[in-house]
Amino acid sequence: MERAIEIKHLVKCYEDEPVLKDLNLEVPKGNIFGLIGPNGAGKSTLIGVLTGLLSFEEGSVAIHDMELNARNELEIKKIIASVLQPPLLFEQFTSLEFIEYVCEIYEIDKDGLVEKAYSLMDFFDIKDFAKIKINKLSSGSRKKLAFVTAVLVEPKLMLLDEPFESVDVISIERMKTVIRRLKEKGVTIIITSHILEVVENLCDDIAILHQGKIKAYLDSVSRKELQKDSSLHEIFEKYVEIEKKDQIVDWL
Amino acid sequence: MFYRLLTLNWRIFISNLNRFQLLLTIGYILFLGIMLVNLIGTAIVVVLMDSRPWMQVELPWLTPDIYKFILLVFGNAYWLMHFSFTNMRLLNIEENRKLLGFGFPLKRLAKYLTIIGFCHPVNIIYNFTWVVFLMIQVDFAYQIPVGLAAIALNYVLIYSVKHRFIRVVEKRFIAVVIGFLFLIFGLFQLVSLFASNSSRIFAEFIPQVETVNYFLGWLPGGLMIQTVTVEYGWLNAGIIFVFSTILVGLTVIDHFNKTKEGLLNPGLKKAEEESSKLWLFLRKVLGRNAGKYYFYVMKHPYNRLQVLTLTVIPIVYVPLLLNVDFEIAKTILIPTILAGIPVALLAMGMANMYGYENREFLLHLQFPINLEKQLKERFLGVIVLPLLVFYLITVFELLVIPKIGSPLQIFVANTFFFLMFMLLFVWSSYFQYQRATYSSFSYKHPIIPQKVTFAISFLIFSMGYLVFVPLEGLEWYRLTIMSTVIVIMVIYLWRHMEVLVNLFKNRVLMRLWNEL
Repeated sequence: MERAIEIKHLVKCYEDEPVLKDLNLEVPKGNIFGLIGPNGAGKSTLIGVLTGLLSFEEGSVAIHDMELNARNELEIKKIIASVLQPPLLFEQFTSLEFIEYVCEIYEIDKDGLVEKAYSLMDFFDIKDFAKIKINKLSSGSRKKLAFVTAVLVEPKLMLLDEPFESVDVISIERMKTVIRRLKEKGVTIIITSHILEVVENLCDDIAILHQGKIKAYLDSVSRKELQKDSSLHEIFEKYVEIEKKDQIVDWL
Repeated sequence: MFYRLLTLNWRIFISNLNRFQLLLTIGYILFLGIMLVNLIGTAIVVVLMDSRPWMQVELPWLTPDIYKFILLVFGNAYWLMHFSFTNMRLLNIEENRKLLGFGFPLKRLAKYLTIIGFCHPVNIIYNFTWVVFLMIQVDFAYQIPVGLAAIALNYVLIYSVKHRFIRVVEKRFIAVVIGFLFLIFGLFQLVSLFASNSSRIFAEFIPQVETVNYFLGWLPGGLMIQTVTVEYGWLNAGIIFVFSTILVGLTVIDHFNKTKEGLLNPGLKKAEEESSKLWLFLRKVLGRNAGKYYFYVMKHPYNRLQVLTLTVIPIVYVPLLLNVDFEIAKTILIPTILAGIPVALLAMGMANMYGYENREFLLHLQFPINLEKQLKERFLGVIVLPLLVFYLITVFELLVIPKIGSPLQIFVANTFFFLMFMLLFVWSSYFQYQRATYSSFSYKHPIIPQKVTFAISFLIFSMGYLVFVPLEGLEWYRLTIMSTVIVIMVIYLWRHMEVLVNLFKNRVLMRLWNEL
């Protein structure tokens, strides 16, 4: 199996407080990979580390067989695109300027770029905002713009941190279509989300992250086996071991 | 990639300028030009003052030792100025950090930010002045590379030390501020002592000027001068040059590593439990809306610094100025400083009225809360403390320094001052609106930009002259004009209380939605 990502014994701390604790994970190439976990589990931190926005204290991260370090950083970044939560956008640019600016950094061929950008923006109903400053956009449009930009830089690995949050249902379906199309092209996509139904339908493999560690890795085979008797929701509850609170508060 | 980084930062810079700020920026550029000419001019005069024959006739006391003393004092004073004014803030690191998520390699970004950080116009002016100051003193060719290396080393060391100092300030804020204020107080007392005993001190000092020069020569400014005035030969020059260059390199690498670290650690902190008696107290005294607002204003360390500074400045200055035999000090400077205190308190509270706890304003759309009530309570709550201080100061002036004017004059002048700036800050909180949990006086995240703060200080002192300068027979004209303006301002504020709400609805509300 070819791996898009290989993480070994990863430790990431905030002020000496470990957020990711000896985390190990392997993601196969060309996979739509779902990363789920309760709030504060460390999902966004992990995405931040993979994107190169956050440093880590211990362990190693390899992307497409290249160790994530200063020497390989540029090569690695050229093949990664990300949509973070909240999305990273330069507020003072217009949507189109932003796309062009980011594509220039990725050294994407300028020929036909604007047409491609317009068609994708049109697909997500944000074409009208092409010449509007980003700081005037709604949170849903911002998310869609970040997604469109990520697609346009033609990555081999896409990191999507809660990509469907604040996005309308129609656009969510369109995003899913694009994600599936990218998979067909061989792109690896990592998605974090709280919407288990979306993850269940869209992802090939799923990992459950809790308290900074991978509690379970469900590949397509083990998922089939496990989901014979229980739903993903039940599996999630089992691994996350959240205290059961069946009884509603008395006064209610 | 460097070009793209510059494009981004130019865009950030330009888009944050409104017409008023553009005007201020032009003013700031002019100020920098004047500063450059003044600094270089002074440096040249100090260096060349002994070489003109007429100088020796005009100033017979200017012996070689005294000349050297003046040169060393200038060099060291200039070094102190350089240290104080070296500017560390040029780029918006949070915005630039986003580039890491778009394929910009960390090492390259950190390198570019380090280079750009070193190129602040003020810093360039100071270093250029060093070049002129030292190069016109050069006697031998080998002193040129050594002098230039010394300037570079001096700059990177100042930069590095200051960077660390700021970190210490962030961690031990109150301790550093109190220490600093005591230092200033001590310095003023020293200057005052020196001024009152100057003739005796000079009589004792002149015979020992050589010893003093020796001591001054080993201070940072003195060392800089030594690089171009001492004969040390080509071999020593080579050694000093190589050693300085290595040190410059190491310091730059250190700063580069710090920038890298800063880019990868965006100041995320672990959650800590917080509880506050201040909040309970303010809620009780000022009510829920004003109390909560004031709590956020007062919680910020820079606002605390502001209060501390406002307490210490009059304690240091007013007694000093009262003892000076200079009538203008008593009639203009003291009342201006005192009238500036409630103004500064107002600025602290009002300059970012819509910025603090701004999401609370959206609650009126969701909960049964009245927006008008919320805003007016906030506005009135902010005025309470400055108003109290305003009355205390007015009473103090009437009782302790009555010579500055009649009770009516003092009262009208102070009221005029207070209301003028209140209007200015209401408009400022509207035009300078930013989502902020930080203060109007933060040097890192200024709500009122440095340029505006500079302009306000200038305005305070200009108005001081306008309002407090004795006019003898024309005093009644001024009183009439000021009273009329006061009445107009009161009517304006009274009739336009809804302006606060309208400003919010027209402009801020839209931006709040975008920030959600």
